[in-house]
Amino acid sequence: MLELSPDNLRVPKLSRPVYAIGGGLTDFRKFYPEKQSTELCMEAAKMAVTEDLGMGVKEFKQLVNFSVYSQFADHFGDQLLAAAKIHDYLGFDPLGNIEVKTGGATGGSSVLAGIMAVASGYASLVPVIGWERMDEVDTKQGNSYIASAACKDFESELGWLYATYYALMMQRYLYEYSPNRETLAKIAQKNHHYAKFSPYSQLPGDLTLEQIMESKIVSDPLTFPECCAMSVGAACIILADEETAFKLTDKPVKVVGVGSGSHTLRTADRRNMPVLLLPNEDQGLYKDRENEWPGFTSFLAARMAAYLSYNMAGIKDPVEDLDILETHDAFTVSDIQTYEDIGLRPYGQGQEFVESGEAYLEGKLPTNLSGGLLGTMHSVGATGIYQLVEVMWQLKGEWDKFHGDEKYWQKYGKRKPVDFKSLQVDNPRRGMAISHAGTGSHVTSIIFERGW
Amino acid sequence: MERQKVDISKFKKVELIKKLFREDVPEGVIVRPNPKDYNHYHSYGGLSPFFEGLTKGKLLGTECQNCRNTGLWLPPRVDCPDCWEKTEWRDVDTKDAKVYTYSVTNYPGAGFKATVPCPLISLEIPGVCTKFMSYLSEFGEGEPYIGMPVKPKFRIRKPTYTILDISWVPTS
Ligand SMILES: [Zn+2]
Repeated sequence: MLELSPDNLRVPKLSRPVYAIGGGLTDFRKFYPEKQSTELCMEAAKMAVTEDLGMGVKEFKQLVNFSVYSQFADHFGDQLLAAAKIHDYLGFDPLGNIEVKTGGATGGSSVLAGIMAVASGYASLVPVIGWERMDEVDTKQGNSYIASAACKDFESELGWLYATYYALMMQRYLYEYSPNRETLAKIAQKNHHYAKFSPYSQLPGDLTLEQIMESKIVSDPLTFPECCAMSVGAACIILADEETAFKLTDKPVKVVGVGSGSHTLRTADRRNMPVLLLPNEDQGLYKDRENEWPGFTSFLAARMAAYLSYNMAGIKDPVEDLDILETHDAFTVSDIQTYEDIGLRPYGQGQEFVESGEAYLEGKLPTNLSGGLLGTMHSVGATGIYQLVEVMWQLKGEWDKFHGDEKYWQKYGKRKPVDFKSLQVDNPRRGMAISHAGTGSHVTSIIFERGW
Repeated sequence: MERQKVDISKFKKVELIKKLFREDVPEGVIVRPNPKDYNHYHSYGGLSPFFEGLTKGKLLGTECQNCRNTGLWLPPRVDCPDCWEKTEWRDVDTKDAKVYTYSVTNYPGAGFKATVPCPLISLEIPGVCTKFMSYLSEFGEGEPYIGMPVKPKFRIRKPTYTILDISWVPTS
């Protein structure tokens, strides 16, 4: 698809309002033999219902009419039709349900499917539950499983390692735009640091830029702290129509923008096209651009998703109009690419978003305060849901409730750090999460706004 | 009455897993081994001429006669994604092939057949509309680099019938 028609670019419209009303998480670990996937999903769902919504399970279940399940890889979980097991385990039978699969973006796509179910009128209360069981094989086999989500005929054999496909993009990005190498490391530093304040996080820590850049190289030039975690855990978000939402909570968060995009699974197959402009970019911006687009340095799928969700939400300038952002920071380089794809900075200038301080807690658009995929988790099927739960908690002003409370640290057998600080953003109104698959094969963008 | 018995055949004593990912399995939790050992069979279907070509020292792409001038598809496609018409096979002229981007894989996933470090490359080939992914099977200090001229090398003897049957080496 090289020429996009107005119909291809039709801005999505929900037939009726949809709200996110509650969320729950497990902690995320490399190895979690204590709990099966069913138990983890139960834990996340129970937290969403009893601790976030603060209502009884039986009362809640009386209102549910559909659910969506989110798991990336059947071969990791080693259980086909696992959703049926989870659904049964939660006691939802005989209600209808679907399982969604779009690689790393499975979580975002699952929430999108849940939004569609409510918006269409098919359902009025929909839990969306995601998980991934990544600890039944060693890390080498795990990487091989993940690389099965590259093209098996033309890519997988060349490394069986996704990091190496991202490293190709990173090398090209460094060549085309010459960012400071340190800026990329700063993204890893920021997210590992914020993960310190999350009881759910797997890889918290304060690292120096030298430690990040001098760590072992996974695939040149990406180092270990610049690559996401491989995690076990679950996440749940509850979606509702307006009537149900206001019946169950005083603080529902409204879905104001949704968008999804795609691009070739093989990075190799991405042909040149004119830059698709976002509302904050004018015609002249890329007039003199010589680099290919999207090439190896941009994600067309992310741009497409942002285009649709911004136009739907009426966002003119994302840095001004959003108060909180969660990106799919699987690798430091993909994060900087995404800043540009979603219009935080023009192409080639993504590093400025970090260097300006805007991406930090004190900045204009705090990004990945959850710790992101680098610091907190990438339990793939849960990831996109987890991001939206964190955005929702921020908008509801509940960050402290779910991160600062000693009981969550104890629950996961952790000690709250002595230098703990609140990462609650001051009175945020609107937030966005980007969910991303492959080297950009699927991307969703979902924008929440305070709905009360 | 003589009763038949059901037995679990080829049963070997199971050794439970006590440690994984350098962590101990907690007391009271059973982690059992779950080995997999079986074959899958994969057809290249209409793309078979491409893999056959590699074993004969030929690099083949496809072209859509209907769309024209869009450049060759490499990896090839039997059907044109733009107009859905059948494509035709063409020899790829690799004379001016250059490295478009690269990485060096140090910790590959399970099943990787090549030695490491293995330089992974994407290629820019005039007349081809894609950036074919492959690897360098010979490299020296400072190689690969973006813009490096390279030529293909085919694994004709003992082919793997995978994309590993083509690699690239420095032109000079
Ligand atoms: Zn055609």
